Amino acid sequence: MALRTPVRTEAPRGGRTARRDRRPRPSAAGARIWTWLTLPGTVWMSVFFIASLLLVAAISFGTTDQLGDPRFGTNLGNLQALTDPAYRDVMLRSLGFALLTSVICLLIAYPVAYAVALHAGRFKNALIAAIVVPFFANYLVRMYGWSVLLSDDGPVLRLLRAVGLADAHTKILNTGFGVIAGLVYGFVVFMIIPLYAAMERMDTSLIEAGRDLYGGPLRTFWFVTVPATRQGAGAGVVLVFLPAMGDFVSAQFMGGPNQIMIGNLIQDKFFEGQDWPLGSALTMALMAVLLIAMFGYLRRARKDEAEATR
Amino acid sequence: MTPTAATPAVRLDHVSKEFNGSHAVRDLELDIAAGEFFSLLGPSGCGKTTTLRMIGGFADPTEGAVLLSGEDVTALPPNKRNVNTVFQSYALFDHLSVADNIGFGLKRKGVPKPEIRERVGAMIDLVQLGGMAERKPRTLSGGQRQRVALARALVNRPAVLLLDEPLAALDLKLRRQMQVELKQIQREVGITFVFVTHDQDEALTMSDRVAVMNGGRVEQCGTPEDVYERPESRFVAAFMGTSNLVGGVYRDGTVQLEGGPALPVGRRPEIGEGSQVDVSIRPEKIWLSDFEPGMPVVNGVIRETVYSGPTTTYLIELAPGVTVAALEQNTARARMEDRWAGGETVELGYDPEHCLVLSH
Amino acid sequence: MNLPASLPPRARRRRGPRRKPVFAIAVTVVFFVLLYLPIAMVVLFSFNAQKSLTIFKGFSLRWYEAFFHDNVLLGSLGMSLEVSLVAMIGSVVLGVALALGLVRHKGRLGGYAGLIMMVPLITPEIVTGVASLLLFKGLGVTLDSGTVMIAEITFSISYVTVILRSRVAALNPEVEEAAMDLGATRWQALRLVTLPALLPAILASAVLIFALVFDDFVLAYFTTGVDPQPLAVRIYSAIRFGVEPTINAVGTLMLAGSITLIGLALAIPRLFGRRGGLDLISGE
Repeated sequence: MALRTPVRTEAPRGGRTARRDRRPRPSAAGARIWTWLTLPGTVWMSVFFIASLLLVAAISFGTTDQLGDPRFGTNLGNLQALTDPAYRDVMLRSLGFALLTSVICLLIAYPVAYAVALHAGRFKNALIAAIVVPFFANYLVRMYGWSVLLSDDGPVLRLLRAVGLADAHTKILNTGFGVIAGLVYGFVVFMIIPLYAAMERMDTSLIEAGRDLYGGPLRTFWFVTVPATRQGAGAGVVLVFLPAMGDFVSAQFMGGPNQIMIGNLIQDKFFEGQDWPLGSALTMALMAVLLIAMFGYLRRARKDEAEATR
Repeated sequence: MTPTAATPAVRLDHVSKEFNGSHAVRDLELDIAAGEFFSLLGPSGCGKTTTLRMIGGFADPTEGAVLLSGEDVTALPPNKRNVNTVFQSYALFDHLSVADNIGFGLKRKGVPKPEIRERVGAMIDLVQLGGMAERKPRTLSGGQRQRVALARALVNRPAVLLLDEPLAALDLKLRRQMQVELKQIQREVGITFVFVTHDQDEALTMSDRVAVMNGGRVEQCGTPEDVYERPESRFVAAFMGTSNLVGGVYRDGTVQLEGGPALPVGRRPEIGEGSQVDVSIRPEKIWLSDFEPGMPVVNGVIRETVYSGPTTTYLIELAPGVTVAALEQNTARARMEDRWAGGETVELGYDPEHCLVLSH
Repeated sequence: MNLPASLPPRARRRRGPRRKPVFAIAVTVVFFVLLYLPIAMVVLFSFNAQKSLTIFKGFSLRWYEAFFHDNVLLGSLGMSLEVSLVAMIGSVVLGVALALGLVRHKGRLGGYAGLIMMVPLITPEIVTGVASLLLFKGLGVTLDSGTVMIAEITFSISYVTVILRSRVAALNPEVEEAAMDLGATRWQALRLVTLPALLPAILASAVLIFALVFDDFVLAYFTTGVDPQPLAVRIYSAIRFGVEPTINAVGTLMLAGSITLIGLALAIPRLFGRRGGLDLISGE
């Protein structure tokens, strides 16, 4: 190499190899701090979350003793009980309720997110805050207020009766529709937020171009807005489906004995029936449905992403 | 080893740095003298920033040693090295005032409070930030933030100051002004500056010496004049501003262009007769009129005229497909009507001494 | 842009500057009415002079008085505040450390931690509740405020980490290097430079966690002992087994409390004069 450097005073060649060997790695030593920071949270989550989930799985193979306390075992009875028509119906109903809730949330959230994201002007941020903030208010209190509103002599039914849309026998509470109304009220925000974010990101000139191409606003919405926000909608469906599937409050406050969901069964096995192994098996069944849903969503999302980057 | 005048402020002893199997820096040997303004110049990815980070202690050499004033600091973390850095992003502490930013290092070292206040005050004056001491960095302009970053490093009186493209984020006018100011400050404080840049003008204007880097190696190291006037490789010739590179066959003191004239370049005993070479000559070293006696003159056709204020650049075709650029000063004596137009045949004169002949 | 030739240019496109989507706006108005009406009913009937839950018979503060004389409910309030505070501190300390580690630590531990940290976010609370209950029973721990705290911390760490992780990733790593360059050790750089830079996000997530834990019912329900019980659990029992208008008063106070806290969490970044606190829209 042709370097015009000042003349070397000495060339310390002899000591080089030795020095390299005993040199501690400064950046490696510094990086240990990140391990120490990661460790406490990881250990905490491993013990109190992962281990406890594994315990649920283990207990679902267990039995109860005379006192009703759970015992470990290799009992397949609890898992077999899941195929019992009574339990199977509840699980199918939960699935149906959660799916319907997702669809209804989608139908509500699209126009709301569209109006707020694209037509609210400078009130956009205030409006989206006005949607988000109430959802941090206590879930029980909100659900209670909702049940009062929809009760048999509550304002909604009185209004509907007054305009002739309902008669004296029309009910919302204690019906499946009531339970779904509760779930929608509880979780619709999880649909609005991702959709709103997707619409905000959307290039609005697309809509203008869509007007040119497709004419009517409905066709434009279907051919332009919906495809552009599909990922947001997908995320929203998952975010609504997961808590709706596991909910037991809505069925209690808004439904009757014929509308119970899997969450109510689990609650019952742990608090009233004292059959923890069966409760654990039901919990595992719930978790399995959710993991399948989640897995399906992630695969779909990854496929979409791959197509988008292609 | 006791530091003497001859001990370099920074010595890189066969330093290499690998990232996932590829070399960012390859077997680097470099001595930087105390008090020098030294620039590491090169395109992005040439290893200049990695070199700087190894001196600062933020990157760990895979091989070799870093010596500061003769002392091996390869194993020392940044906080134990007597160097300070001006980061490209300035990396100011946004939650601290300008004065607290500048005093951060002194406070870490346990310097008594009254002394901190005094030194910070002096430094604020030096970088002309009077009256800004209590402001938060976010409220400052880019140039002011740059000064805070400089003051924050200089106040610690490091043996070596490392500057990682500190002017890159400033607009052109401010950059020119800061170049002059940085150089002045360096003279005033007498600290060794190691300056990383990809801007050859900046390196040439400010440095005592420049190391041109490419692909993790130093291509050439010398004074700005050395690397600009006497590039030792095609890369350096091309990187140090616009340069004409013309290929041909060397024969008996000339380079024969294919389908064109033979360019006299002077005798080059180190180059074999008949070998394929490149001739490099800077546009401003080509004359288009007022030739000196004995100057070789060749003919060419003007292909394009680019007027850019103080200068005009002509693209002149010497042989089919072989074009060179020539730069003319638009001085008071040069008149508009004297400029050549496209298609005209002109004579080009040059001094063979200004020709660099680079064999393949 | 290729326009179909059949369309008359311009004429159709410019029928209005951008027509208001009447249907969407109508749905939005109904949505807002239905969103706030239940809350408004709870607030309204908390001031009802009579015991009726459907007919308003004049203004009174009697249910608030009743609440402040109800030692059981006050005990529950105290427990909820205590649990929220401890869970907030615990999950913020663990979550912030985890977020820092996850962003900077490139290794197998980081990969594992990143994975298990995401699981609670997709697990319904009832599952977490059942799992925690089984664990505590299995370990032979008596259920009390301590078990609620542990469960709530477990549930909250993920939220803190998710909020903080994007903030940590957005930090300029050169700032930490600058601190070390100026003589700070890694710990000092973290304490003196990184944590202050994260402060708005840390405070915002702390407030958010406090509000979430205070309002949380499912986990508390599964992990609490018999007496005292967190306020949310009391409200649940009260609604299920016979509603006293006192519940409206408690509910109104809780609504006011959580809305204040959420407003605070959203406003904290602005108080610091910059963005970088809580982004409810992009943070999933």
